Amino acid sequence: MSETSPSQQLFEMWKRQLEEGAKSWAQLMTKGAAPAAPPPPDPAGFWWKPMFEQGLAQWARIFAQTPVTPELMTQWKQFLDQSIEAWSKALSQAMSTEAFAQTMGKTLDQWLTSQGPGKRMAEQSVETALQAFNLPSRTQVTAVAKQIAELEDRLDRLDDGLAALARRLEEASRQGTPGSPAR
Amino acid sequence: MAQERFADVVERFTRGDLNGDLRFSCEAAKQWQEEFDKNVKRVRNLTEMVLNPTSPKVGQTPREEVYKRNKSRLYRYASGRTHRTPLLFVPNLGISRPYIFDLLPGGSFIEYMTRQGFDFFLLDWGVFGPEDNDLGVEECVSRILPRMARRVLEVSGGSDLSILGYCMGAPLSAAFVASHPECPVKNFINMAGPIDFAKAGLFALWLDKRFFNVDRFVDTLGTVPADLVKAGFKLIKPTMDLSTNLNLWWNLWNEKYVEGFNALNKWANEYVAFPGEFFRQWVRDFYQDNKLCRDKLVVGGRPVRLGNISCPIFVVGAKEDYIAPPECVRALGDLVRSSDKEYVELPGGHISLIAGRGAALHCWPKVAAWLAARSS
Repeated sequence: MSETSPSQQLFEMWKRQLEEGAKSWAQLMTKGAAPAAPPPPDPAGFWWKPMFEQGLAQWARIFAQTPVTPELMTQWKQFLDQSIEAWSKALSQAMSTEAFAQTMGKTLDQWLTSQGPGKRMAEQSVETALQAFNLPSRTQVTAVAKQIAELEDRLDRLDDGLAALARRLEEASRQGTPGSPAR
Repeated sequence: MAQERFADVVERFTRGDLNGDLRFSCEAAKQWQEEFDKNVKRVRNLTEMVLNPTSPKVGQTPREEVYKRNKSRLYRYASGRTHRTPLLFVPNLGISRPYIFDLLPGGSFIEYMTRQGFDFFLLDWGVFGPEDNDLGVEECVSRILPRMARRVLEVSGGSDLSILGYCMGAPLSAAFVASHPECPVKNFINMAGPIDFAKAGLFALWLDKRFFNVDRFVDTLGTVPADLVKAGFKLIKPTMDLSTNLNLWWNLWNEKYVEGFNALNKWANEYVAFPGEFFRQWVRDFYQDNKLCRDKLVVGGRPVRLGNISCPIFVVGAKEDYIAPPECVRALGDLVRSSDKEYVELPGGHISLIAGRGAALHCWPKVAAWLAARSS
């Protein structure tokens, strides 16, 4: 008997059963089909295979510990964290290509094309409806808000000018010479 | 060894007599009991979160509003004020609210800095609506920031001030410092603020003028809605929500974690719209043309030359920052004229650089120590 732990053995056994079962099913499914054609490559295998194998390896590590403790949960969490990180890296790589940026730009353009006329129409309808009820439209309220902001800005500038003038006067009086008027 | 039957192994496994090492020890039983208790707490806290959601109390450090202009506010925080030079903190405009810097007592950058004796001023740019669509980078740099700086000096009675720019606030305030030599800036700190936009990672690629037509975008939408800002930031790290929720479940038994999560989650889901004109200039001049770095930016008729900055500079980059990668942040050090300049790269991401346990450990003490040595 090898030195592997019983839980490891259990896992190996389960893995073997899984593999053999999958092989049997595959044989059963392809029975009677033309033997010449090789199975088509599975493009999705690029994504799921590393994850599946990583998962199996993690389970193997989990089952290898005896006795089974809540550490198992921690390891499972670590596995999930690693998987998410792996996905994140893969997605980051995919998103950092010019092809992705181009596709995203095109999608956004199409969205803007579809949004633009609809948005304008909706805004016009709302304005017409508000006008009919003699209520201020959004554009009018926005214009008033802008005017208030401009007024505030002018007051601030006036305040700044006065402060500058006061500083000059103060400096001039400190130096004992008459202050020249601010421009 | 002959091939074993699967059922045999299972039987021995459940009987527990295989090699004798599967015995359910007392230690394991105790651990399982602890795990069970944790799960009970998890379920209880989850039920509480779902049935009685409470709004976390954020931004608790005492402060007073000392100036306001349109949507922007300047706050002064209560502190011992042992350092002579006041500090103006300039965060990002739009995107998110600035209470992340004063999230919870014990986990607040502002609270930490005030406890260190800094006279701390925060510029809150505000929440923008369609009436602010004409607000541009130029107005921020050449009108709002100079007024805020002046008000800081007036209120504090200081003869000079330090400026700390975080994220987008860093390039904006760097542009201000470079173009307003009359403003007595004693120290400048750039925390996770992009400077060389050619190295600004995914956003630089996505906003490249070959793929993104910013004029069409702004002309169609006017304001850049908060939901679209949120979508952009979610897309840059699509697995973020998954890992956040997984970590929440894992730590759901811990009331302290849940409290922090609620506060952070509130902030993370409260996005702020961009004024249209600001977004247009920000994308075109900074991301697409990289004008700040190339000395081509002009604000309020004044050219912005980073080489005009000669005050002491402290630049902080985060190793895992995917919004402002460290290489685009550290560029500031190479472009200024200052002889006293330092760059540190700390663990963490864009947010965890300044908020959270890691920040309290790695970042805040470094920033406070660097500034304290130059604030007397």
